[in-house]
Amino acid sequence: MKVGLFIPCYINAVYPQVGVASYKLLKSLGVDVDYPLDQTCCGQPMANAGFETEATGLAKRFDRLFEQYDYVVGPSASCVVFVRDHYGNLLAKESHRCATEEKIYDICEFIHDVVKPTSLRASFPHKVSIQNSCHGVRLMHLSSPSELNVPYYNKLRDLLSLVDGIEVVEPERPDECCGFGGMFAVEEHAVSGQMGRDKVQRHIDTGAEYIVGADSSCLMHQNGIISREHLPIKTIHIVEILASGL
Amino acid sequence: MSTKHSNNAGKFLQDKEMTKWHDQTLWMVRAKRDNMSRQLPEWERLRDMASAIKMYSNSHLDLLLQEFEKNALANGAQVYWAKDADEYCSIVYNILHAHGVKHFIKSKSMLAEECGLNEFLEEKGVEVVESDLGERILQLMHKRPSHIVMPAIHIKKEEIGELFVKEMGTEPGNNDQTYLTHAARKNLRRKFIEAEAAMTGANFAVASTGECVVCTNEGNADMGTSQPKLQITAFGMEKIVPDRESLGVFTRLLARSGTGQPVTTYTSHYRKPRHGGELHIIIVDNGRSKILADKEHVKTLNCLRCGACMNTCPVYRRSGGYSYTYFIPGPIGINLGMLKAPLHYFDNVSACSLCYSCQNVCPAKVDLADQIYRWRQKLDDLSVASSSKKLMSGGMKTLMEHPHLFNLALRNASVVNGMPKWLVYNGLNDWGKEHDMPQFAKESFNEMWKKNKVK
Amino acid sequence: MSSREDILQSIRRNTQIRYEKPDLAELEKEAITYPDKIGQFREIMVQMGGRAIVAEAGDDVNELIRKQYPEARRIASSLNTITCLGKEQKLTCATFHPDDVKKSGDLDGTDLAIVSGKVGVCENGAVWVEQDIEQRAVYFISEALVLVLDRKNLVNNMHEAYKRIDTGSYGYGVFISGPSKTADIEQALVMGAHGARDVTVLLV
Repeated sequence: MKVGLFIPCYINAVYPQVGVASYKLLKSLGVDVDYPLDQTCCGQPMANAGFETEATGLAKRFDRLFEQYDYVVGPSASCVVFVRDHYGNLLAKESHRCATEEKIYDICEFIHDVVKPTSLRASFPHKVSIQNSCHGVRLMHLSSPSELNVPYYNKLRDLLSLVDGIEVVEPERPDECCGFGGMFAVEEHAVSGQMGRDKVQRHIDTGAEYIVGADSSCLMHQNGIISREHLPIKTIHIVEILASGL
Repeated sequence: MSTKHSNNAGKFLQDKEMTKWHDQTLWMVRAKRDNMSRQLPEWERLRDMASAIKMYSNSHLDLLLQEFEKNALANGAQVYWAKDADEYCSIVYNILHAHGVKHFIKSKSMLAEECGLNEFLEEKGVEVVESDLGERILQLMHKRPSHIVMPAIHIKKEEIGELFVKEMGTEPGNNDQTYLTHAARKNLRRKFIEAEAAMTGANFAVASTGECVVCTNEGNADMGTSQPKLQITAFGMEKIVPDRESLGVFTRLLARSGTGQPVTTYTSHYRKPRHGGELHIIIVDNGRSKILADKEHVKTLNCLRCGACMNTCPVYRRSGGYSYTYFIPGPIGINLGMLKAPLHYFDNVSACSLCYSCQNVCPAKVDLADQIYRWRQKLDDLSVASSSKKLMSGGMKTLMEHPHLFNLALRNASVVNGMPKWLVYNGLNDWGKEHDMPQFAKESFNEMWKKNKVK
Repeated sequence: MSSREDILQSIRRNTQIRYEKPDLAELEKEAITYPDKIGQFREIMVQMGGRAIVAEAGDDVNELIRKQYPEARRIASSLNTITCLGKEQKLTCATFHPDDVKKSGDLDGTDLAIVSGKVGVCENGAVWVEQDIEQRAVYFISEALVLVLDRKNLVNNMHEAYKRIDTGSYGYGVFISGPSKTADIEQALVMGAHGARDVTVLLV
């Protein structure tokens, strides 16, 4: 089983440690991981802003870069689900059959559903509040959406339960949007900022020291708010915790 | 980079207390809805069936409307067909005129809002009285609804207290909700009794029986239609359902989704005119039949007008109904506005973070967020895309399609971290208005990998 | 061409895929049921802002109603008798028949209306009233409403209810679930918007 590691652009630029932790974590679980060079962006920012066609070239590049692997795994639910849900359509317009849409996984989903470890070496003696991201919850099904009448589950919580010393909580309104939404955060900055401040406050109200999530974009948005408002909480990507003993 | 919606939202958000109240109050309604849905193990199947019935009925409108008409005529009703808003308004006016109606009482109808009925009738000298409390308050204030189910959600009781002193002679300073509601009850009771004709919309029109079903909590539709003997009922044609079995599905979903009640207080079935009275039914198209051809947006016709998508929308809750330029706000309003006139209403398309919560609460499974995503893709062809967003997207595309440029940018990115704040957070940087900028890493992941630092 | 034809043609022209009518049997089979229907109905009536009282053997229905509405003076009903637990009782507490008024507006000021309900729904407290008098206004205009319902006519849910209701010769029927209410002023719940301020379902 050969896995191609997908590192989204802003993780590459802003949070490379999340990429490093992803690599280490997969390695430690006995996965054969490779990082194909020359990765850039999946195209979601342009598409969500209304310029899907600008993403077509990127989709083609991405698909070629990763077609040789059995799985494509990336530490960002939102980017991964963009590939899964939209590349097929985008590439069909170019008469290119998408090879990656069916084998791409968010790293949490991949570890939870494919690798299925029963223990981890990780230890993180802190209280953390889960950031259930919209696309992770409602498009990728990482946890049960609060709107649906389905039994509770949360793959992030399952994975975190393997970490030593950790206390895991979820905020009130557990999967309300934090307000990032790509260019939404700029075009509708007033609403986006208010959503972000509300979200961070609900995480703080749990008494957690960290906001933990599977989407660096939501964390980046909330981190910008935390820093601007000097709020007493930090953000961390879930793989950094899961790889903490490595 | 801004739209009319984002500008209006910015203004709404300046009143922090109101914003907080608006958000929390509507969230409470959403929480009540969640609680209701969890009491029914079959909830998700109910939604599936509601959606399937609507997909059936909206793809058989020609047959079902004719069946409805046949049955309604057999019941003794008169049936009219209106192509557009003008024809609908004229039909109503002609009926009222022929009967010499001067006092006309209405229960809440989004169709009447859509078609501008009140303005039309008032211009012709007919006094129109709205009987739903929220609608009546707004009518007296000369304002529009800001929510389709809770029309006066944006008005504070102090304003209503002041209004009622003037309009209904209530005690100045008494803003108690029970007191004010009962004052309106008394005041409107006279209006009901004096009216010569009453009008309702319809939540459902049943093809197999020719009856119209109206759901209210206040009982205003029934107070109206049980006083004067002249009744007019009008509905947009997507309100048709095949039979009463379907009503079993929809009446279980509507109030639970919209207001978090097990059912509305009154679910009224109007099948025949009253003895010695008349029942006039108007079937309205006003653009709906055209939507049938639009595969990407046809599901908007599933909408029950329950308002659940507004209550859950994090943007609606924090920007209020008036921040949208179409008369229906929130996720469904964004889509209906674009179907009505994209060049008029494209400003609302920005009002979505694509969180998809609306799709999960919709009782008839309208794919609201997917549709907003699709509308965004069309803005450029309509020549109304934001030029700065286009520039940013184009710039990103160039950068991202050329890995050497991307890598070069990554190498230089951390320089931004050192720039003085006034340069980073200038007025042009909308991100900087709410957040600090992310700190770029000294070394990107690409760089680290190449240097063999990832182990 | 008439608007009717225009509209029908436009529908036919624009309709794309014709979807099949779904089969509701599975849903109706798995829809919620209650082992203790009377208990559930009493509970839900409280939730809806009203109440259900259950007549017991030997109870006088007039006394039950009187006890609930001791202040009521003008009491409307078209019922002469109420059959309670198999025994027919005379309804004596009503003071007039709603069709005795000249016009519907004269019903304003009715303190209480006693009305027969056909079916009661346990999932939501709705009681089906099929119009059986000229002046249906009395169902709404009265300050309080007693809905008399045979406990054998309690059903679990709306699917079951719709199989058992009709609109009768008057061509009108309504599900009433508790008192008239509104929350249009700042979402504060107030009973008695336009219809009855108080509703009691009398299970006989």
